[in-house]
Amino acid sequence: MKPAPFDYCRPATVVEAVEALGSAESGRVLAGGQSLIPAMNFRLTDVSLLVDIGHVTDLPGVDTEVAGVTVGATATQSRVLNDDDAARVVPGLRAALRHVGHLQIRNRGTVCGSIAHADPAAELPALAVAAGAVIGITGPDGHRTVAASDFFLGPFWTALSDAEVVTEVHFPAAPVGSVTSVDEISRRAGDFAVAGLVAVIEVGDGAVRSARLVGFGVGGAPARLASAEAAMAGWAPDHPDRRLMEAAVEDTADAFDDIHATAWYRREAVATLLVRAARRALANGETS
Amino acid sequence: MTILEPVSEVDVEVTVNGRSHRHRVAARLLLSDYIRDTVGLTGTHLGCEHGYCGACTVIVDGDAVRSCLMLTVQADGAEIRTVEDLAPEGASSLSPMQQSFHDNHALQCGFCTAGILMTLESVDPTDWSEPERIIELLSGNLCRCTGYQNIVAAVAQAWNSEGDV
Repeated sequence: MKPAPFDYCRPATVVEAVEALGSAESGRVLAGGQSLIPAMNFRLTDVSLLVDIGHVTDLPGVDTEVAGVTVGATATQSRVLNDDDAARVVPGLRAALRHVGHLQIRNRGTVCGSIAHADPAAELPALAVAAGAVIGITGPDGHRTVAASDFFLGPFWTALSDAEVVTEVHFPAAPVGSVTSVDEISRRAGDFAVAGLVAVIEVGDGAVRSARLVGFGVGGAPARLASAEAAMAGWAPDHPDRRLMEAAVEDTADAFDDIHATAWYRREAVATLLVRAARRALANGETS
Repeated sequence: MTILEPVSEVDVEVTVNGRSHRHRVAARLLLSDYIRDTVGLTGTHLGCEHGYCGACTVIVDGDAVRSCLMLTVQADGAEIRTVEDLAPEGASSLSPMQQSFHDNHALQCGFCTAGILMTLESVDPTDWSEPERIIELLSGNLCRCTGYQNIVAAVAQAWNSEGDV
């Protein structure tokens, strides 16, 4: 359980990091390392050059404005979790980060790193899609931005090319009057989810006005649950749960079987989380 | 310090339990192996070496981290504390938390204990002393002997909160 030998560099700027990545046969960016180092310890990933961005000085920190929260590539999950301003503007950040790893992992792991890693069972990629986040990327051709909905292509597969670095992620402010929830079913606290759901639900007059729903742990890449979103619009607590549940099952056709759960269980789990999210949003939305 | 040319070995300077150390280490050397094999402090235990068990938890610049998920080069310039710092050699007594673990039979084989103690040492008790928060805090450290009840009781006693959860 030790990483195989590799070369190491420690650039001071984003441009230097991109140049180093471009020069390597198989370069990888090291930020918090909480997914990369286990993968290297298991020798699941082949790294010839590790580019440590931990000392890069020209990256944003955690910048909160009325319009949203921008999180730089080296900002740890703990730092964002404990940022009250960020939690007020984008409540999903705190809601999602509570489920990420444990204290010791969050103290090193970064928000941008989790998004670049694109684990299909991770909370932050799903939040990025649900919240309509924009991924900032710097590469040999300069800086570009990609909508989260176009960024995640499959398990551990993103629109990022080899010599590019995720430099920041911008999460737009949650709509006024919306309720964001991140809920999951996992075998133990801190484990990756067997199935989970990020829901951004706008309520009014005792019913759901609109919802942005993204499942995680059920398919290859986080994507919005289109039928469930349609079914949830106009839904009220005295409407049947069944409508929501059937739509969720329809949306999760690419769920998979593994040792922890069958595809059927995962689809049912998302359906259950969906009903929970709708009921909770309506209960909380009325009081706020 | 910036390193632009790729290297396989790096000079690092770290402080461990108040003593400063300089070594040239392989880039791939995990902090856990550095602490145990290079510095020679074997109180930090290695269980899974992939970030699951928490036995190797140490404090780096005030934060509890998995030392098996951190490269030594990432700790360059950092201040590290390990379990040996809680009751230094020559001290006449255990730390209050260690004493509470002893009093409550909060360990059996002791393999996970160093990591748990360092997790506890890293946080402000005022934020974590509620029984539910203690359980949440301990969730990042696996113990296979105790079933956690006595650990929770020991923490609650040391932090002067209710012991029965």
